[in-house]
Amino acid sequence: MTIVSTSTSAFFERARNEMTALRSRAETLQGEIGSGSRLSRSSDDPVAASRLRTLMRSDSLSKIDTSNANRATADLNLADSALSDFADAIARARELATQAANGTLTNAQRASIGTELAGIRDSMVGLANSRDSSGHALFGGESAGQAYTLDAAGNARYAGTASASDLPLGDGQSVTRSLTGPEFLNFGSTDLLASMKTLADALQGGSSDPQGAARSALDSLSAGLDAVTTGQTVVGARLAWIDLTTERRTNLGELRAGEESDVGGTDLASTVAKLQEMMTVLEASQASFGKLAGLSLFDRIT
Amino acid sequence: MSSDLLSIARSGAKAARAALDVTAQNIANASSEGYVRRSVGLSEVSAAGGVGRTGDISLSGVRVNGITRDADVFRQAEVRRTGADAARADAEVKGLENIEAAVEQTGVYDATVRFEGALQQLVSEPTDGSLRASVIESGRTLASTFNVTASSLDAAGKGLRFEAQDGVDQVNLLTGELARVNARLGRAADASSDQSTLLDQRDSLLQRLSGQIDVTASFNPDKTVDLRVGSATGPQLLAGQSAGTLAMTAANDGTIAFTLDGAAVTPSSGALAGKGQALQQLAATRGQIDAVAAGIVAAVNTAQTGGVDLSGAAGQPLFAGTGAADMAMAQTDGAKIATAPAGAAANSRDATNLGALRTALATADPAGNLDSAIFDVSSAVAGRTVTRDALDTIAGTARVALQAQAGVDLDQEAVNLVRFQQAFQASGRVMQVAKDLFDTLLNLH
Repeated sequence: MTIVSTSTSAFFERARNEMTALRSRAETLQGEIGSGSRLSRSSDDPVAASRLRTLMRSDSLSKIDTSNANRATADLNLADSALSDFADAIARARELATQAANGTLTNAQRASIGTELAGIRDSMVGLANSRDSSGHALFGGESAGQAYTLDAAGNARYAGTASASDLPLGDGQSVTRSLTGPEFLNFGSTDLLASMKTLADALQGGSSDPQGAARSALDSLSAGLDAVTTGQTVVGARLAWIDLTTERRTNLGELRAGEESDVGGTDLASTVAKLQEMMTVLEASQASFGKLAGLSLFDRIT
Repeated sequence: MSSDLLSIARSGAKAARAALDVTAQNIANASSEGYVRRSVGLSEVSAAGGVGRTGDISLSGVRVNGITRDADVFRQAEVRRTGADAARADAEVKGLENIEAAVEQTGVYDATVRFEGALQQLVSEPTDGSLRASVIESGRTLASTFNVTASSLDAAGKGLRFEAQDGVDQVNLLTGELARVNARLGRAADASSDQSTLLDQRDSLLQRLSGQIDVTASFNPDKTVDLRVGSATGPQLLAGQSAGTLAMTAANDGTIAFTLDGAAVTPSSGALAGKGQALQQLAATRGQIDAVAAGIVAAVNTAQTGGVDLSGAAGQPLFAGTGAADMAMAQTDGAKIATAPAGAAANSRDATNLGALRTALATADPAGNLDSAIFDVSSAVAGRTVTRDALDTIAGTARVALQAQAGVDLDQEAVNLVRFQQAFQASGRVMQVAKDLFDTLLNLH
């Protein structure tokens, strides 16, 4: 009759296998707790790892969308403040034109009003050539140079492109980063800068009926104020659109962060509990191995 | 014929001594690798009576028949078979893990996303020098990351082929050893301790051989072994003392093939098979990475030629090379990125061609293709790891089962020690009785 059903080396091999397996499982859990991540390499969970890569890519590209949105916001804010200045200037020009249309004024007084109007018009040309956050023409579309150039006669000519460039905001959305000069300075067949120059010239002696010229210019100045205010509304709407997409992007970013921790993060409480369980089992099997290994018949036979 | 009490006792004492020797040998080799427990076979020696002498008592004691080696051939075959499976799976998983590390840890995916990001950033200000420089730098990082990935994959392949060649050398060495053992087995006397040692050697060599390549062993009546690769009808690796020669050839794509004495042979398990499978996955992954790199180069360069750069000159290719290994940045100046469409003036802020470039890159989808390449290899690792663990458990169980049957149990040897010591003492006592009887007869007065 055999005493035990196993050989000494089989006993040791089995004990070694079992304890090594327990130890390596405990170490895996320890690694998860240490890194805070369930995955140390893709093969730990290929599907989750692939999802994490896609999320990481979306995160990284979304940061660039945010920086584009910031740039567009800066440009649109610059455009907005320039348009306010335009509105102030046009309002002042209308005041002056109203004065000039008054029949009690002498031509000399009209001429001085004309000089002030010419100054206002010059500052409007300057405003129309404002620079954006990266130093390009704010109202020149995609122009590499000035938005408006003055010819020899002092006429302002638009030198920019037909439309301002679009900036992508992510998820296929985009925003136009500014307005072009003609979008708010030209209305109907009127070019505001040109008609202001005509008025200033007329008041300064270029016309035989300066009072009539001032009266007829009043309409186009009112329409110009309307056009600039409309431009401000457009800019405001674009800024609101950027806010909306930024909010959406932030929400999506939070969703992604949540998914990332769901997919790749480790649940600390349950992992620690599992580790504790593993350690208890490991200690128990080490203790029982010690006892069994110390059991030798040779000690008993004397 | 009569019996001789003294010589019976002598044969008993001798048998007990032999049994004690074998027990001591078992104890000494309790943890020797490949040692199979021995036991002594004893048989009675007695003579049949002749004609008319059927009433005779003719007893001559006991003799040692031979040393029995308690190895179960079936369990040994199981250990070899499951061991070969486990070794194959282990080699494959190790190789795949190297491939996974080469593709994943070089950060080629991150570099691709950064390049895409740099292009997207450039849209906000196509003429900005720093944004253009950032595209060039992220392109350079991308190219060198692809280079590193390619060389890591090549290094992994080189390592695998080196190990496979070493495995082939091992197989040839072990087969040669087995041929020598076969030769000596033919000369060793039956059931001698010499033969037992040779059988231990034979089985241990077989076990090591099956770790490299799957073999079917057939045992001849003289206990020599013949080997065939794979099944019992596979090509002959060892016949008696003539050993075949295994050789390995590597193809251009790095995959390996084996020949036995010039004829092609395909091992289905063992480490060699696992390394072959890992090298096949490596060639596939290398192809995928090369395709992604070539896709980026083609998309970017084609789009470049469709536009003009910052100075208004026709766009030149940004990347050089045709694959992951030789991909390089051909331009060092950010101004060379053709963001404007053909015909645009210098310093144009028109980003139409940049849009076309980004669309071409999005169509080539390098990030998506890299993701699926990483996914392919990592899911292969994950799947094969499960298989490997299962096969390891099966092989471990088979090994323990063999050891439980063929290994030394120290408790049992302790009992045997006492039992054979008692037998020896008892035979001594018999001698004492024989002497007393003799003295009784001599002292008759």
